[in-house]
Amino acid sequence: MNTLSTSALIDAFRDQGVTHVVGVPDNGSRRLFEVLWETDDIEVILVSREGEAFGLATGLHVGGSTPLVVIQNTGLLEAGDAFRGTPYNMRIPLVMLIGYRGFGGHREGGGRIDTAATFLEPTLDAWRIPYVFADPADIKAQLSQAFDTAKSTSLPSAVLLTMHTE
Amino acid sequence: MLNKYTCLEKLHAVRTDEIVVSMMSNAMPWAALSDGPLDFASVDTSMGHGADFALGVAMAQPHRRVIALNGDGSMLMCLGTLVTMAQYRAENFTLIILENGTYEVTGSQPVPGAGTVDYAAIARGAGIENVCSLTNDSEFDAALQQHVSGVGPQVFVWKIEPTDEGIPRPTLPIKERTERLRTALQET
Repeated sequence: MNTLSTSALIDAFRDQGVTHVVGVPDNGSRRLFEVLWETDDIEVILVSREGEAFGLATGLHVGGSTPLVVIQNTGLLEAGDAFRGTPYNMRIPLVMLIGYRGFGGHREGGGRIDTAATFLEPTLDAWRIPYVFADPADIKAQLSQAFDTAKSTSLPSAVLLTMHTE
Repeated sequence: MLNKYTCLEKLHAVRTDEIVVSMMSNAMPWAALSDGPLDFASVDTSMGHGADFALGVAMAQPHRRVIALNGDGSMLMCLGTLVTMAQYRAENFTLIILENGTYEVTGSQPVPGAGTVDYAAIARGAGIENVCSLTNDSEFDAALQQHVSGVGPQVFVWKIEPTDEGIPRPTLPIKERTERLRTALQET
């Protein structure tokens, strides 16, 4: 299985001036959170449900910080109205890392169908969220592009995590 | 029971440079008292997420008091915010829960658990230490200054009489309200 370097990811966060990571861990982002908890310059804010992450991150941004949301696709689906009403309606250039649960079966013919995967990309398209797939070889450039896209549109953008962080 | 309009007028009288985030049936009554750059009506956003938005502002602006005027219906939609408040302890954050037991702007239907839910107990149970439930004018007046100067995170539950507030219609679109607040925070 491919993995994504946590240190490269955190370096990419630093390049973009990320001050807070707001979200809910999953299996794919587990290592990322573990390392961030030991990191002094980026604060981790755990929330109880993903909609709360969008409201809180929007407030952080309006207050002058640079938050980044890390959630799983299941959480994104739960958080639809919070996404619509806070970062989208309030025109916040918020970047999200979204764990793509079920990617293997969905894209690579793994057999088991996980509707968290089958619903994700159609939902991103319907909600007008531009996205790229995380590439371990190019994650710094991808994060930079995601931030540029968000800033140029004043709207959220996403990077999809199809592999575990290590 | 407290009167919402009287309570808001008293809060307005002691408010100086605090950010005030209002929601739903509190938004227009507060706007009638104050509608400047540091007043943000969380309307046309997402019901239940005004308090977490306000908490985020407080975390990003630790030297400025943020007061969130939340309804009980909105609070029920995101009780997890109380847990987040307790865990990250923004000393500059005041959450007010205006408890009238109804979804006022949609016709005063009862909220789940109206009259039985104990919001102060929930807040304490979430881990917030500074919690105060206010049911009459003398209690309110004694606690008023604490709303703007007490060490947060703190929660005040205002037990208010139901009123007949319509759908809130802020003077500015949401995008402009957001930009106005962001600009004001950058300038100060």
